[in-house]
Amino acid sequence: MFTDETLDLIGAESTWRKSHQQTQESRSCQTLPVHTAEAETQAKDVLENSTQTQDQISQTLSLDRDISDFPGLVEFLRRVEDVVIRELVKNSKSHAFDGFEVNWEDQNDSVSCMYRLQHVDAQERGLQVTSVSWNCTGSVIACGFGRMDDGDWSNEKASVCTWNLDRQNLNPMRPDVIIDVPTPIMCLCFHPVRPSVFAGGLYSGEVLVWDSSRSQDLILAQTGMSADTHREPVYQVNWVPGARRGEFVVLSAGSGGRVLLWTIDGAEAKLTLSSGYAFVPQQMPQCGAASKPRGSTTIGVTSVALSPWDLDTFLVGSEGGLVLKCSFSSGTVAAVPPDGESVTLRNPMQFSFSPRGGPIHSVHFSPFHRNLFVSVGTDGLAHLHSVLQPHPLLSIRVSDSYVFWVRWSPTRPLVFAAVTGQGLVQMFDLGRRSLRPTSTIDQNTGGQPAYCLEFNPKHTNLMAVGNADGSVNIWQLSAELTEQGAKETAVLEQLANEVTD
Amino acid sequence: MAEVEDTLKRIQGYNGVIGSIVVNAEGIPIRTTLDNSTTVQYVGLLHQLTMKARSTIRDIDPQNDLTFLRIRSKKHEIMVAPDKEFLMIVIQSPTE
Repeated sequence: MFTDETLDLIGAESTWRKSHQQTQESRSCQTLPVHTAEAETQAKDVLENSTQTQDQISQTLSLDRDISDFPGLVEFLRRVEDVVIRELVKNSKSHAFDGFEVNWEDQNDSVSCMYRLQHVDAQERGLQVTSVSWNCTGSVIACGFGRMDDGDWSNEKASVCTWNLDRQNLNPMRPDVIIDVPTPIMCLCFHPVRPSVFAGGLYSGEVLVWDSSRSQDLILAQTGMSADTHREPVYQVNWVPGARRGEFVVLSAGSGGRVLLWTIDGAEAKLTLSSGYAFVPQQMPQCGAASKPRGSTTIGVTSVALSPWDLDTFLVGSEGGLVLKCSFSSGTVAAVPPDGESVTLRNPMQFSFSPRGGPIHSVHFSPFHRNLFVSVGTDGLAHLHSVLQPHPLLSIRVSDSYVFWVRWSPTRPLVFAAVTGQGLVQMFDLGRRSLRPTSTIDQNTGGQPAYCLEFNPKHTNLMAVGNADGSVNIWQLSAELTEQGAKETAVLEQLANEVTD
Repeated sequence: MAEVEDTLKRIQGYNGVIGSIVVNAEGIPIRTTLDNSTTVQYVGLLHQLTMKARSTIRDIDPQNDLTFLRIRSKKHEIMVAPDKEFLMIVIQSPTE
């Protein structure tokens, strides 16, 4: 009944699928032939030229040679002596040149504000200018943003901006270089010889060195966070001549009571600790006027001044109002428990000056006299000290509020400028009889403080002032404040020699 | 010899004299009361200036010759007494 059966295959054709190979077209393209030609040139006449500077070979002085080597010297002196003495006597009595003044350059009679540099971004966030620095050629000004009035640990991002004032298209509102930093910058210092390198100290205790001539990654070296670095804000950085000639090391001073010297390791972009100093209250030199601070475990360093005359000496101002004279080559070991640092910390303190009430914000050695320095702090006074004695030679009231920075004028031995918490720059001339400021420059910040001041090392009539409202004012000083008078060095010498009992 | 030293001491002792230098014809200082680097600087510059001044005078009038050169600046006065073989430089600060 049921049988197997095979049926034919049945197929159904697709109604929508068709072969797509219906139409085909060919296209091709080709560029036009490229014409080439060969030509050769060769210089037939070649001229080579080169220049080289040479170190000045100091002339040999024949001071040790016997006078008999120079025949005719005695006769010469006989001939010349009378003439010279006559002229000397005439000159010392002469009134011919009294009041005679020659103007080689245009005399600038007034102080004017050349630029008001601002970084809009930082101003919007309410950051303040904590430090300014001119580079060694005097054409670039760098300013660091941060906060001075913040007591809290701050992790706010801040920046460092530089402007090149010699450029034609200077825009005061837009810095040339903006570098972002993770925490507020407390201090800046340009390299004394290389115009594009500068170092900065941060609130977190790190020290960084930037090179603005690099095209990317401007950080040349940094300390990072290791056992060696500061744990407290770094208040001052400086460049100090290193062991080899021409080499500089970075000095950083922080409120943790440490002054550390770092060498730049260019290959690894790191700053390695070469030597360090620690300030311990128990090891402070006891000098009549000073009394040991009670209850403090460290002497927090807020300012450092290097002596331009004596490479071994430096001054330190502390949070407690102490001013200490220190030496780089001191050998005594500091009495601090070792904290994993790679070098043993030494105690550099040699001498202590009479203490003040309140942190010392700024100390500066006089560029014209090896023993004089001026220091300012929150007590509103500027003290003129001689290194040789603990008591100040002179105390000048700068303002009723805090005084944040002081600098001697680089051209006039008797003039120094200080910035106050009211936003004024007071310039004092010690040659005048009265102790009132010779000129007061208002920063136009609406009463907000001005934090830092620097004179331009090359164009000595320019002065930069950094303010709390986030702007940097560049002032051009009048000739009166910058031209050196005839007897100023002598008056300074006289001042320095006054010793109070 | 003592006479040379005496003469120089006499000149140095006058009112306001800061320093004195005696230079030979080649421009090398023989005796000086200033420090070495300052001396070398003064000698190098003033030697050239004296030669220039002398040639200026002689160009104007060949019969004339330089006898004394005084340069007055804001801070002091430099006096140069020239001679065939030697040069004496004295720096005096004006008393006013």
